[in-house]
Formats: sequence, C-alpha cells, structure tokens
Amino acid sequence: MADFFLYFPQAFAPANLVALILGVFGGLILGATPGLSPTMAVALLVPFTFHMDSATGLTLLGAVYTATVAGGAISAILINIPGAPANIATLLDGYPMAKQGKSQTALYICFISSLVGGIFGMVIMILFTPPLAKIALKFGAPEMFWTAIFGITVMAGLSSGSIFKGLIGGMFGLLIATIGYSPVLGTPRFVWHDVLTGGVSIIPALIGLFAIPQVFALLETLGKDVAKVAFKPEKGVLFKTIQENLKMVKALSVGSIVGSLIGVIPGAGGQVAGLISYDQVRKMSNNPKSFGKGNPEGVAAAESANNAMVGPSLIPLLTLSVPGSPTAAVLLGGLLIHGLFPGPDLFTVHAEVTYTFIATLVLAQIVMCIFGLILSRYSYNVMRVPNLEMAAAVTILAVFGTYSVQNSFDDVIVMFSLGTLMYVGRKVGFSPAPVVLGIILGVIAEDNFLKGQLIASTDVGMFRYFFTGTINIIVISLCVLSILYSIYGEIRAYQKMKIQGERK
Amino acid sequence: MKKDVIVSLVCLAGAIFLFYSLNWIDDERAQAFPRVVISIIGVLSLLLLVQTLALKSVKQAAAGDPFPWARFMIMFGLIVVYFAIMERIGFYLSAFLFFIAVTTLFGGAAKRATKAVSRVGLPLVFTGILYLLFSVLLKVQTPRGMLF
Repeated sequence: MADFFLYFPQAFAPANLVALILGVFGGLILGATPGLSPTMAVALLVPFTFHMDSATGLTLLGAVYTATVAGGAISAILINIPGAPANIATLLDGYPMAKQGKSQTALYICFISSLVGGIFGMVIMILFTPPLAKIALKFGAPEMFWTAIFGITVMAGLSSGSIFKGLIGGMFGLLIATIGYSPVLGTPRFVWHDVLTGGVSIIPALIGLFAIPQVFALLETLGKDVAKVAFKPEKGVLFKTIQENLKMVKALSVGSIVGSLIGVIPGAGGQVAGLISYDQVRKMSNNPKSFGKGNPEGVAAAESANNAMVGPSLIPLLTLSVPGSPTAAVLLGGLLIHGLFPGPDLFTVHAEVTYTFIATLVLAQIVMCIFGLILSRYSYNVMRVPNLEMAAAVTILAVFGTYSVQNSFDDVIVMFSLGTLMYVGRKVGFSPAPVVLGIILGVIAEDNFLKGQLIASTDVGMFRYFFTGTINIIVISLCVLSILYSIYGEIRAYQKMKIQGERK
Repeated sequence: MKKDVIVSLVCLAGAIFLFYSLNWIDDERAQAFPRVVISIIGVLSLLLLVQTLALKSVKQAAAGDPFPWARFMIMFGLIVVYFAIMERIGFYLSAFLFFIAVTTLFGGAAKRATKAVSRVGLPLVFTGILYLLFSVLLKVQTPRGMLF
C-alpha cells in the first residue's frame, strides 16, 4: 500500500494524463459501438503502445479497458445491443428503463455504479493481491468445472418467459462451444462445413446473437407508429439519481463483491460477473418480478459487477501470468512487449511502472465516470438516427467487428447464421443471453471436466476429485440452491397463473 | 400454446438428430460432453412439451405479430449479396453500396433532392469515418477489393 501511494503522483505526469483522458474518451466511444469489444479495442491498441514509454503505454491500455467495459452499457441501454460482452446483464433492465423514458437515469446509474464497483475492485486489487492470488491458485480443474456449472444454473433465471427455454438456450450454447476440434483430444466434432473447422469464437457469436436479430427487429418498426426510446436530458436528474443510486446498497455491494470474486477467477470475465451478480440481486430482492422490466437495481448490480471485475482480473495476471478475463489476456501482451514479465519482479524491479499503472487505473475509474456522465447527456443523439439507417450501420459494424478479430470471413458467416437463427428463436420466446453464456462457459466446463477426468483416473477417482474439498462443496451447494430457487419460481408462477385463470 | 408445442417438438427432433450424429465423431471420449448436453436438451424439450400441455387450461394464448417474411427475406438477400461482393470489390465499397441499397429498398424513392443527397451522403460519411479511423489510423485489416 505504501508503494502505491509513493508512486501515485506519477499518474499525473502530463504524458500519462493525456493517455488516460484519450484512452477513457476513446474507450467509451468504442465500448458504445456494438461489436467492438474491450478485448478487441485493447488488442487494436497494443501495437500503438510499442513506441510509448512503458507507463504511458500501459496507462492507455488500462484506460481503454476500464472505459470500454462501462461504455458498452450506452448501446445496451439505448439500442438493446451490448457494446461489450460484460454488458449483457445491463440490457436486461437498462433497455426496459429506456423504453419507459428513463434513459438518462439508467445511464447515470450505470456510470455511478461502474465507479463504485470499479473503485471497490481496485481497492481489492491493491489490498488483497497476495491472499486472493492464493485462493485463485486453489482453483483446479474440478473447482473451475463447478464454477462453470454454477454459471449454467444461473441461465435458468435469465429466461424471461420459460425456465425450460432458458435452459435449452443455454444448452444450445454449450453445444455450439463443442463445435470444432476438441481442445483436449483434438478430435473434430460437428464440423459439417469448412466454415466450422475453427469452431465458434465468442466475438462472432456475441455480435451475431445480439446485433443481427436487432437489425431485423429495427426493420419491423418501419412504417409503424412505435414509441421511440428517445430522451431529452433534464436538469436535476443527476443529483436525484446519485441519491437514489447510493441507496441501492444491496445491489452495489453484491455487484462489487461478486465482480471482484469472479474477476480473480481466471477466464471468467465481466459477462459472467454481471450475469451472476444480476441473478443474485434479483433473487435477494423483495420484488424479483420487477427485474427484466426496468428495475434500476438490475442496472446497478450488473454495472458495479463488471467494473469491479477489472481490477481483480489483473491480480492473477500480474502475479501468475494467468489472465482473469479475455481482455486481461490481451493486456498481458501489452506488458510483454514492454519487457515486463508477471511475477514478483513487477512489484520490486519494475515497481515504478507497475504502481503507476495501478494508480492510473484508479484514476481511470473516476475520469470514466465524469466523461460517462457528460456523454450520457448527449448520447440521446444515438436515438435520433432513423431505424433504417441504424439497421444498415449496425449490420456493417457487425461485419467489420467480426472480421477484424481474426481477419476471417468464415467468422462473418458464422456470425450471420447464428444471428438469423437467434432472430427466429426470439420470435418463439428464446433469449440470446443464456446462449452466449453457454458458449462462454462451455469451453471452461468441458476443458476442466476432461482435464479433471484424466487426473482423477490416475489419482483418487472421479467422486473424490470432483465432489470433495471445501471450494467444490461450496460451489456445488450454490449450484443446487440456484436450481431449487428456479424450480420454486416456476411453481409459483404456475400457481399464480392458475389462480388468475380461475378468477376469469 | 401451439407455438410452444411446435418449438418443443422441433427441439426434440433436433436433439435426436444430434444424438445420432455423435456416431460420426471418431473418439468416444470426445463424444462424452456433447452427449450429456444433447441428452439434457432432449429431456428439457420433453419437459417444455409437458409444461405447455399441462398449462393449456391456464395459459392464455398470446396473439403475436405475424412473422415479417417480406422484410426478412429482402434484408437476408441484401446481406447475402453484400457478403458475396465484399471480397471482390472490398469492404468499404461494398459497405457503401449495401447502405444505399438498404435505405433505398426499405425507405422508398427519394422524392426531394435533400433526401437523395442524404441517401448518398450518410453512407459516404459513415464508411469514410470507418476507413479513416480503422484502416488509416489503426491499420485494421479488412477484405480488400478493387479500390480499397
């Protein structure tokens, strides 16, 4: 902690400040653009930092990372397309709020909650790096497998209509994740066309599942007298929202804690943090039915979690070279091209660069909130773009964002195919969020299951390996509780419908 | 109601087909995880069918909008043509033409001069910004064609 304060003034060096401001501003814009994920934005910038001073280059990458995660909420709230994977949970209540004419409030809640979660995550990162890194070290194959399964059980709560449809969607996502070559055995699976040889990557899937159905949905509104989700910034809303937002202690606390915990687990990322936090806050709420219909607590939970994840996701990265999120993995490339190798040396030999980087990340949270609140006032201009032009532009951006990740036209075809299928799926009550979660967790679940299976067969056997141990038992209990709660919710919904039917 | 019955039957048929297709995977160990997932999809489809039929008496049939076939097929066709020409004429030119095609086909004829100018101007500005920001400044790779 003393080292952090010793190097904190370095964050205010002119070059670092310029990098910070440009990074945050650009990150917010990039984050708000559908399809341009934080991972892609940071990956695009890594080569540019090569010619910069190490601290300045890392400041730019860190600022973009922080701001894109928060900026993705702008498009999630205003046009129902998450700008980044981390904002999937934000649109569940953010977009309904916008439709109710509360866009300004939703955006303000998003940035204030991001600041609260972000600062919490950074404090966790600075204070608890050594003990949390030790806990992360204890997550072996069975613990990671059960963590993925826990994420899958969360899917049940994500479906707006039927739990079964939510679970089928999630399972469909898990199946999509198995397309291509088996990561452990190298056997091709479901490769029915050359396009599928490389499997389905998360970015094409994410863009396709969210952007393409939205394009077709925008066309449906042509010629119809549809209430547009537009707003005029009003005075006094900010002060009122800050007061209202800070009263959401439960949502902000759960979001910040869940985000920090998920962040420190390698590979999980902001999308998992946001969805789990959202689900937990919904379950703890006195009025869970209001979630998905524009409950501000839903936005606060999701946004505080995905930004709380940023700091802790760097803990295993800086100490063990294990990235806590896909973007942190790209950030590792940024560290390496500056000759900074993760490990104890970062905090001793390269202490100045490391602590300056951490200090600018803290500052980035504050600058992100200020810029985000200012941008929120003008983001309503996004809504002035006619739906037809928006549909054309979103299609082009979706193609561009998908292609530029791996320079692969196959990815574009996969993106469009999945998107078209999802559009039809949406028409019959399926939601894209469980499918995406399935794709993300499928790789983690299968990879760790097969690894665990191999280890268990030569060690203590499957049961003892997967079902004993404190962390395993805790995560398995959470899985069981999540499923039981979802079944309880379904039964209650059925009973309510029955009572209403009898009254009629 | 009827829609959910069809959905559950389609999911069940899909699960049966996928289960059968597992035989095409050489290594049995590589079949294990997908087999479990497909089996769960099958069970869930059956549960959805049972739930739909059980709730027949209490669930009110919601009359949704009819599927917008015409618009869907036109946009689908435009996107397919956009993909087909992208690798021949390049990303930016194809994007520009796609933008104009979408606004013209769905927006009707431009009766005023200002409308006609905006029909061309907006796609030009949009693709121009993309080109400057990503190809010139960030050196991002895009499908190259005749001009860009």
